[in-house]
Amino acid sequence: MTLKTAHAAALALILATTALAGPVRAAGASDTEQERAARWQEIAKSIFGDRTIEKTDSLVKIDAPARALDAALVPITLTMPQGDQIKAVSLVIDDNPAPYAARFEFGPAADPAELKLRVRVNNYTDMHAVVETQDGKLYEAKQFVKASGGCSAPMGMSDEEAMKGMGDMRMKFAETQPGKPVEATLMIRHPNFSGMQMNQVTRDYTPARYIDKLTVSAGDKKVFTMTGDISIASNPVINFAFKPDGKPLQVAASDNAGGSWQHSFTPPSPTN
Amino acid sequence: MARLTSIGRLAAALAALGCLAAAPADSPVNVPEPEGLYAGPPKGYTPPTLKGAAVIDADALAALLAGPDKPVLIDVAAPDRKPSNFPEGRLWLPVHPSIPGSVWLPLAGAEPIAPEREALFYARVAELTGGDTAKPVVVFCHVECWGSWNAAKRLVRKGYTGVRWFPEGVEGWQEKHETATLREDPAWKAAAEPQAGR
Repeated sequence: MTLKTAHAAALALILATTALAGPVRAAGASDTEQERAARWQEIAKSIFGDRTIEKTDSLVKIDAPARALDAALVPITLTMPQGDQIKAVSLVIDDNPAPYAARFEFGPAADPAELKLRVRVNNYTDMHAVVETQDGKLYEAKQFVKASGGCSAPMGMSDEEAMKGMGDMRMKFAETQPGKPVEATLMIRHPNFSGMQMNQVTRDYTPARYIDKLTVSAGDKKVFTMTGDISIASNPVINFAFKPDGKPLQVAASDNAGGSWQHSFTPPSPTN
Repeated sequence: MARLTSIGRLAAALAALGCLAAAPADSPVNVPEPEGLYAGPPKGYTPPTLKGAAVIDADALAALLAGPDKPVLIDVAAPDRKPSNFPEGRLWLPVHPSIPGSVWLPLAGAEPIAPEREALFYARVAELTGGDTAKPVVVFCHVECWGSWNAAKRLVRKGYTGVRWFPEGVEGWQEKHETATLREDPAWKAAAEPQAGR
């Protein structure tokens, strides 16, 4: 069998099995969809109470790889084209044991058009982004992601090694133009231990230690405050944009174990 | 580890596409079968074989489920562990997706295991198979999880002749098939809870 025919045969086999599995999958899918919808209702009620959440395909959009390469490091992009209308955004990973991954509250120095972060995904799951607009309404967008095991995946090094330099930060600024928002990438060294990671040798669980509060300000104006959780990937990387006013960016991070760190970064002057 | 897992899965997908005879759970290292039960780290590369049991992939499992002699499906995966210092009042809502129709006996493949847990495992499987030791029994947990290897081995030792070990676990299943949310087997759960008078 040549390689080409082997592939053709493999493809035929896949098609055949898919066809065979067809009716079963269709029935299962609707059950699963109902299950997912019910779960989201439960989570939304727990976070937002009885507030109405409308669906949107314009106020916020989630981009995530349909199938993640590494479940412990899944890149997420939240796009909010009408940034000035957005007061806050919450990211929920429905089927993670701790579904409420992060909430960002934007301040006057924010440009919330695009926000990127990296998360842990524990099961094939719906993800929801819920934005709160300046007039206090809630809107949701959804995206399905295939990844599993991200919350319990060990970091592949000792805890001591993973905690080395904890709280160190770097900031990268994209090229700036006068009067335009500046894109920035904040990198924080922190293991963000989920508390679900087992040391394979001692079989002890590393206690949860994660950044629960992160505030970025431009001068004395807030860009955002993030409330974080164990679903944020280790060594958090957050891309955001802000409106510069010539003053340094101030970053303050704290974790659930009492650690706190402050750093200041000076954005480059705009190039003409 | 997560990365190795992904690479393993990718390799498995490539192997399947290339029509190779390789089992999807084939690991990059050739792990020999241990003499008895495996007492090492619970997550890691597993052997390609289990003496006395058949090793099946997701397609073989789907075929078995579509056939006349429905197997008993036993999931021995560990439940999500709530971190001891997880903040009070913050949302904790673990979910266990598995192969539809499975019975979830968490950590029945642990080694060592408490004698009463092992006895209950045998008792539950005896009930589920209606005492028919030739009935097909499929044992699984996650990919690269020794728990299912051990639990399947326990059944082989107990004299079950229809044991199938499904090393790809729920990760291998969900590639092509729907999962269902499972709750822990009530009898298994009840016996693990502290009882009055003890």
